[in-house]
Amino acid sequence: MKVEGTRTFAAPRETVWEVLNDPARMAKAMPGVESFDVQDDTHWTANVKIPLGLGGLSMSIEFEKTEERRPEFAEISAKGDGVGAIMSMVTAFHLAEAAEGTKMKWEAEVKIAGPVGSMGQRVLQPIVNQQVTNALSALDEQVQEAAAS
Amino acid sequence: MTETQTQTRTQPLVVEREETKPGFVGQNVPRKEDKRLVQGEGVFFDDVKRHGMGYVHFVRSPYAHAKIKSIDLTKAMELGGVYGTLTGDEVAILTDPFFELSVKPGADIRDYALAVGRVRHVGEPVAAVVASSRELARDAADLVEVDYEPLPVLTTAAEALKDETILHDDAGSNVVWQGVFDWGDWEGAKAEADHVVTIERLHFDRFSSTPLECAGALVEYNRGTGQWTMYCNHQMPGIGAIWMAPALRTGIDKLRFVTQDIGGAFGNKICLHPQFVALCLLARKLKRPVQWTEWRTDQHTANAHGNERTFLDVEVAVRADGTLLGFNCRALDDCGAFPRYEPLGCIIWAQVTPGCYRWRNIRVDFTQVCTNKSPVSPNRGYSRMQHLWLTERIIDIVAHELELDPVEVRKRNYVRTEDMPYETPNGCVYDSGDYARGLDLALELIGYEQLEEKRRDAEERGRLLGFGIGSTLDSGTNNFGQSTLLNPELQFSGNNEVATVKLDIFGEIVVTLGTVPQGQGHETTAAQVVSDILACSPDDVTVRPGHDTYWNSNAGFSGTYASQFAVTGLGAVKGAADMLASQIKRVAAGVFGATEDDVELAEGQARLKANAEAAIPFMGIGAIVNANNAILPMDVRDVTLNCRYVYVPPFQLPDFERKFGNLTLTYASQVHVCLVEIDPETGVYDIVDYAAVDDCGKRIHPQIVEGQVHGATAQALGAATTEIFAYDDEGNLLTPNFYDYHVPHALDMPPMQNGYLESPSPFTPLGAKGMGEGGGAGIHAVCAALQDALKSRGKPVVWRSCNPYHQVWQYLQEPPRGLEVSGR
Repeated sequence: MKVEGTRTFAAPRETVWEVLNDPARMAKAMPGVESFDVQDDTHWTANVKIPLGLGGLSMSIEFEKTEERRPEFAEISAKGDGVGAIMSMVTAFHLAEAAEGTKMKWEAEVKIAGPVGSMGQRVLQPIVNQQVTNALSALDEQVQEAAAS
Repeated sequence: MTETQTQTRTQPLVVEREETKPGFVGQNVPRKEDKRLVQGEGVFFDDVKRHGMGYVHFVRSPYAHAKIKSIDLTKAMELGGVYGTLTGDEVAILTDPFFELSVKPGADIRDYALAVGRVRHVGEPVAAVVASSRELARDAADLVEVDYEPLPVLTTAAEALKDETILHDDAGSNVVWQGVFDWGDWEGAKAEADHVVTIERLHFDRFSSTPLECAGALVEYNRGTGQWTMYCNHQMPGIGAIWMAPALRTGIDKLRFVTQDIGGAFGNKICLHPQFVALCLLARKLKRPVQWTEWRTDQHTANAHGNERTFLDVEVAVRADGTLLGFNCRALDDCGAFPRYEPLGCIIWAQVTPGCYRWRNIRVDFTQVCTNKSPVSPNRGYSRMQHLWLTERIIDIVAHELELDPVEVRKRNYVRTEDMPYETPNGCVYDSGDYARGLDLALELIGYEQLEEKRRDAEERGRLLGFGIGSTLDSGTNNFGQSTLLNPELQFSGNNEVATVKLDIFGEIVVTLGTVPQGQGHETTAAQVVSDILACSPDDVTVRPGHDTYWNSNAGFSGTYASQFAVTGLGAVKGAADMLASQIKRVAAGVFGATEDDVELAEGQARLKANAEAAIPFMGIGAIVNANNAILPMDVRDVTLNCRYVYVPPFQLPDFERKFGNLTLTYASQVHVCLVEIDPETGVYDIVDYAAVDDCGKRIHPQIVEGQVHGATAQALGAATTEIFAYDDEGNLLTPNFYDYHVPHALDMPPMQNGYLESPSPFTPLGAKGMGEGGGAGIHAVCAALQDALKSRGKPVVWRSCNPYHQVWQYLQEPPRGLEVSGR
């Protein structure tokens, strides 16, 4: 499943870059994060609970930053395991300066295997879309907070 | 021969071609099985329990294609109540790969009971966990940690054919089998034709029957004798043993299959050997009985599907008057991750090569490939259904395109009753039938004369009405020699089935069957045949329920499959009963000092024809032979009253070079017609009227036949409208349960009227034909009706077999064509 979009932040590109590359701030932007550990600059893990039906889907996710070209491009790979689902995701974002601040073009290729994957896109796509919307709004807050500080 | 006809709208329309004889055959006697089933007293494998048994849960792959890097069982084994485990690595050491039927490259595929090193479809068993309860085994299976490395996924046959990703490295190609079937003179037919219609693509979707009872077995291992006993629902133990015994490095005498009641099988309980071998290994390893009961989701995901087949570049040679001269196409068959029963599907379709029609020039370039989907297995209508869908689609697409009447095109081209027995271009022999008469009956039942009036009425209501026909054949009683057309090294040919009939000390008449009934009423129909021969009541005949390979007699092809019980099973029963009747007469003749010809059987007695009062009841005959035989004359002391008969159909070995020969013994025919109404705004449609006419020769028990026709119709309508195994690009099955995979409920069934013709088979002991599978006539009828309804909306080609509402909506939005007509 591929999801992509653009978003404009009212902040300088350097500020947006800092937020996107700060695992601690990203953890606050990700929905459902219950715990978060940073191993080094390019590796971190998170335990998340994705609101999926009754009780939610708990998943342990390992992140790895696989490529970066400061301050315009980064690619992060994530692999997660949970009961009934195995998730893998590659997400990339491109930052460009814009008149009103910074324009971010992003894309993510999400693969879900296991019984949850069998629910198919018609069930998962709305959930993913909702999660992305929540994440982007939270990210906006983090960017504003960083710009203000 | 007389013809009688009765009809009401509530009773089936019946045309019998011979006088009804007195006796129980042909009567709707009460079914022997029903009392225990209706009262909930049936015994299914899951009802059988053993002291100390363990419950098995399979750890299944979440990936469609991946390397297995490691399996860690530690956490599962630490759970209290877990008895043990099994992995693919153990299986690879303890067993040999299953026997493959194909020639190379398919012959080199290595298929084991559990995945070894690599998984090739979602749901493939990777390991097994055994615990003290079913729930605990399932929980423990979740604790098994498998590290996978995902690999590229093949979800279409076209992608697989490129061989850019290879599923089975040992084979070196995804192609299982490839061959060209060329009968008659296709090029000559093309040159002679007034029109050549080319259809770019037709696709038969993946679906399967879904038995009420999922698969499973309770397996015990006897360490003293090295024998396994499987209380199970395997529907074809003979073939199961042929696969299992060499893999387990043992003889088939060490494998005992026991069934009583089976909750439906439809073919997908033929290929249970991988799971059963895993169970045998576990029972031996853990020194305790183990039971596996398949979960419904696993049945959908990883038991077995029906073959998915694409027909490409279909060319049809037609004369201007609608005479069909022949067709040519490429067929691409997707058999999923492992061939198993395949590539038999690459030849089984050839039993019905020309469908119901007289075209003589047919060329099919057939290729079967593996993909990362569930393996396939025979599924009710196995392989012929796909091919018959092709021939029926051709008829309607060509008729629409050339503005010919589909009814007239059919009648012009049907094999005629006066041509029976009719040899097809590939050497099969259609035994009897009257397809045109069947169509007339169906048209009569549905009120075809008022079609245009109904069409106008629907238009006034804003609906599009369509009429469709599906005329199909149910070929029954396989000649297993057809397997040699795929692989000349295979040592299979002919067919056989066995039954025993005995008379016991107190006069009990006991029948055992080689067949493995799954709800088809074998106990009832066998009793009807025996009681007519022995001149007693079916109530006096006990037919042992189910099957036990230790105690029932077996032939190599024993089982219930391929629409053959009425021929092979009842042929064996008739043979054994005839033997017993003769022995009873000989005993009576010996006692009376008469000859066998002087004795007749009547009212449960053997008596002198000349003096009905000189009679010995069967009880007396049984007592004399079994317990008082010193009174018998010496020349009848060979009588045992325990008669075994093996029925062997009169087959020859087919010709490998020409791919020519008689592949099945009987051809039941079906003509289904339907009316659909489509809402053009949404694509939602209803089947508003339906009629089915069946001709399976002599009907032993008309009510059972009618039940089979209803079941086959429901199966076909599900396949036509909602039942589809859809996969996403990652190889996830998107319809793994009854929520997403909708099987027709009683309320989904349209109003249906039934009619019957009886054209007795000249080739079978009772004039009966196999008929249990149907031919998918409902799929063809619905496709044709949709095509007819949509002709005013851009004349779309209905190119898929399964057409849910959203598919019809797509036809309405962008009518697919993919069609060319060249002509002179």
